[in-house]
Amino acid sequence: MSDAAQPTDEHVPTDDDFEPIEVFPESTEMDLRPGADNCYKCSTCDTNCPVAEVDDEFPGPKFQGPEQWRLKRQDDHDIDDSVMKCSNCMRCDHACPSEVPLSQMHNTARGEYVEKQMSKRSLEYWRNRLLSNYRTMAHLGSKVPRLTNFMMGLGVTRVFNEKVLKITSEREFPAFATETFREWWDARGGYATSRERARAAREARGEKTTAETDKRIAYFHGCYSNYNTPEVGKALVRVYEHFGYEVMVPDQRCSGTPMYANGMLGDAERAAKTNVPELAAAIEEGADVIASCTSCSMSLRQEYPELFDIDGVHEVSNNTWEGLEYLRVHEDLKGELEGTTTDLPNLAYHAPCHARNQGLDGQAIEVLSAIDGVEAHDVGDSCSGISGTYGWKAENYDTSMKIGEEMFEHMEAADATHGLTECPTCSMQMEHGTGYDILHPLEILADALLDGGETQSSSGTGPA
Amino acid sequence: MATDTEVLVLGGGSTGCGIARDLAMRGLEVTLVERGNLTHGTTGRMHGLLHSGGRYAVSDQASARECIQEVDVLQDIAGHCIEMTGGLFVQRPEDSDEYFQKKLTGCRECDIPARVLSGAEARRIEPYLAKDVKRAIQVPDGAVDPFRLCVANAHDAERHGARIETHAEVVDLLREGDDIYGVTVRHDSGPGKRTHKTPGTTEDITADYVVNATGAWAGQIGAMADLEVAVRPSKGVMTIMNVRQVDTVINRCRPKGDADIIVPHETTAILGTTDEEVEDPDDYPEEQWEVDLMIATLAELVPILKEARTIRSFWGVRPLYEPPGTGTEDPTDITRDFFLLDHAERDGVGGMTSIVGGKLTTSRLMAEKISDHICDKLGHSASCDTADVPLPGSENLEALEDAMDEFGLRSPVARRSTQRLGSRSREVLQTTDPNPVICNCESVTRAEVQDAIAQSGSDLNAVRIRTRASMGNCQGGFCCQLLANELHPEYDEETARAAYDELFQERWKGERHALWGEQLSQAMLKYALHATTYNADGDPARTGTDVNFEAFDGGQTDTEAGPSGVVATDGGPRNRGGDQ
Repeated sequence: MSDAAQPTDEHVPTDDDFEPIEVFPESTEMDLRPGADNCYKCSTCDTNCPVAEVDDEFPGPKFQGPEQWRLKRQDDHDIDDSVMKCSNCMRCDHACPSEVPLSQMHNTARGEYVEKQMSKRSLEYWRNRLLSNYRTMAHLGSKVPRLTNFMMGLGVTRVFNEKVLKITSEREFPAFATETFREWWDARGGYATSRERARAAREARGEKTTAETDKRIAYFHGCYSNYNTPEVGKALVRVYEHFGYEVMVPDQRCSGTPMYANGMLGDAERAAKTNVPELAAAIEEGADVIASCTSCSMSLRQEYPELFDIDGVHEVSNNTWEGLEYLRVHEDLKGELEGTTTDLPNLAYHAPCHARNQGLDGQAIEVLSAIDGVEAHDVGDSCSGISGTYGWKAENYDTSMKIGEEMFEHMEAADATHGLTECPTCSMQMEHGTGYDILHPLEILADALLDGGETQSSSGTGPA
Repeated sequence: MATDTEVLVLGGGSTGCGIARDLAMRGLEVTLVERGNLTHGTTGRMHGLLHSGGRYAVSDQASARECIQEVDVLQDIAGHCIEMTGGLFVQRPEDSDEYFQKKLTGCRECDIPARVLSGAEARRIEPYLAKDVKRAIQVPDGAVDPFRLCVANAHDAERHGARIETHAEVVDLLREGDDIYGVTVRHDSGPGKRTHKTPGTTEDITADYVVNATGAWAGQIGAMADLEVAVRPSKGVMTIMNVRQVDTVINRCRPKGDADIIVPHETTAILGTTDEEVEDPDDYPEEQWEVDLMIATLAELVPILKEARTIRSFWGVRPLYEPPGTGTEDPTDITRDFFLLDHAERDGVGGMTSIVGGKLTTSRLMAEKISDHICDKLGHSASCDTADVPLPGSENLEALEDAMDEFGLRSPVARRSTQRLGSRSREVLQTTDPNPVICNCESVTRAEVQDAIAQSGSDLNAVRIRTRASMGNCQGGFCCQLLANELHPEYDEETARAAYDELFQERWKGERHALWGEQLSQAMLKYALHATTYNADGDPARTGTDVNFEAFDGGQTDTEAGPSGVVATDGGPRNRGGDQ
């Protein structure tokens, strides 16, 4: 043997920094079998799985995760097709008392299943690809929003979707905004304008007004607040500026959540390769990353470092926050809200599963209750059932509605005028199941904190 | 009560079962007796390494050649018992270059295909190898399931007319003058398939010829007829990991030593082993430091082992033997070859031969040689077919892959089941009855459990070795009671309870050596389930005490149930009642 054939890497990792994924970066396949060591089969994950609760055919997260991984061998790669029934709500992660990387196992298994076992010529594959690449669809659609909205509402489109694509016709497609968030942002003057406003706000608050402020955030708006609910994005910008934060809006693509759920890890990685460098550059400039969608913040925080080996992925993960969470930690939100009022005092709040996984399920009610007269009702611990693209698939529609039933009942029983949640697809389900109009907590916050000014001029369905 | 047979084989391990199959196929009338389950002795307590011969290529080239030949044979006749994983002899920087070279030369001299890999190449095959391994020799090692191999041999022997009696302990050798003519056995529960709680009986079995294939226990059998068989039992510890950290057999490439093998075995990896002579093969200390030392040593090759979860440890006893006067001090130096001791030639006592030494990989060849000897003794002429006729389960394995979809099982379950059952899959798994998974850790379905019960009676440990049920990470925590339940209604409640207890005890025997980290949590959960939830400790059906039903109240009635309404599965709505 020549020395040339010897490994050149002299670094010997100590046992302390052992991580199963990083120990052999040269390997392209992930081996999560050691993750099964943490499972002692208590089945708490199974009892918390909303899909298993309503679908007897679904074997549950314990089987999908540690059991299936433990049964694998090197040349023995078939993944049971039931993994496609997992809705990726990730409640199992939250339920597990023993730190089994369940959703990572599910995501990886699903990716493997789609890549190796699902026919690339099947309609299911292309339907899933279409759904998980919502941004591409939305990007095109929002160029001519009125036409698209008209087309999507047509009976013939819905019949085509149902019969050919197996996208349920029970649901109405969310309308595209006539002006996207980014269009609004650019027209408003982008970062330069935000810096001005933030500086003025800081001055009014008696804080530092120099350029060397650490009050800077990079807003990850995601696809839905850009194309469908720009009022959420606008609310975030205004609330943060109110507290003196300069808002940057880096270039970005989908966070990847719908892609993991459909096993399209390649698509997710391509998007991540745009997002991570853009967000890492903003962090370099002193910004923290803020998302208004809890699935987006979840993805940047948890799935990115679990699934992708991209430079800067850990910096992004460590510096990403959810919109309300960041303000709770860094500002005196309660003090600020004292004595404020809102026109929307009666709210039925649903905590999205992905918010729960980040420990954020209690914050919206706690924060908003500080506003005078607000009655925010928590509608319980159940999952809304839609889980992103899951409930859009014709074959999952009934399961999705069955899972959501408990939430619907609690919403009906709540004495409220509006629904409230952070998650775009939970809001679709809440609206679909109950008829409520659904708001984002940041919209209520903006309504309470900001009087007049720009808020009044906001277009569309916002709480103005 | 006495029965007669042509050949009586003592010992239901790999040697005994192999001999029984061989002789039965040659047309002799064979009876085999075993004091426990099949594989109860050494065969069921080994690491399951199918040797390419690489391990013996320096020290014992005759054995090495036999190994590589038998690996070929076993692939043909026992495909469902083995997994050709390939093997690596891994050299660390501190290991001798000279020995590495000797190993390579030795492999080539013995016709064992061997290829040198750089450290990086070895790690590409096994990513969890230590970053600083220097190089490796790749050889065709594999993994063998000793239970399945042994059971298949016994099963085939029965198909050829043999009588196999488990739980039948030899209590005396029948000797008249210079002739041994049979044994007295004590049946734990009457002859035939085991049924717990059936009263035991004794039986004299007379035979034209007796084969003592009791391995480490051969000395004890010999002593019953005042014959000295100087077996030197040597214990070795093995530890079972929860998952396969490696998919290839890993050997340390150095002259000899403890703790130098990792064998990927089914869903687990088995670490082995140590070598220490003991007095009594039934009574020797099992000490934690042996396990700790082995994990620490093997972690030099595969560092992740230090943090990984072990599910149990067990000790086996090698039946080492050396001819009188050799005087080897260190048991690792004693040859692994087998010895055929014809007591007529050796001691002037006819009618019996003792077999000692040997190893699982070459057990078929060993059985062939011994059977030749016995046929010679009996003047029976028939040729040996065991190298050509597949074992039950290993016929037409190629057709199996296509059949998996037919069983209506989830794909990992179907895959594991068919790997265990081989060509018997269709016969066992094709059922119109509901076929739920009974053991989730190892994916064993009811149909497979019922098949095993049909073979072995109420003995759940016999079901275990046939199916792997209860051999996964929960060690029976979630399936012991389900397995016992499968015995009903054919067996009554009392029998099922006794079988459950016995399986539970057997699992605990190995689990108690793995009580730290996650496996401790597992054991506590198992305790909570069985002792608390199932009340296994204080079950009145077990203790015989009467239950005072008067002490219980009538339970909640509708009128007491509080405010009416549907109680939600999440523990009730937080939004009702106005108090936020």
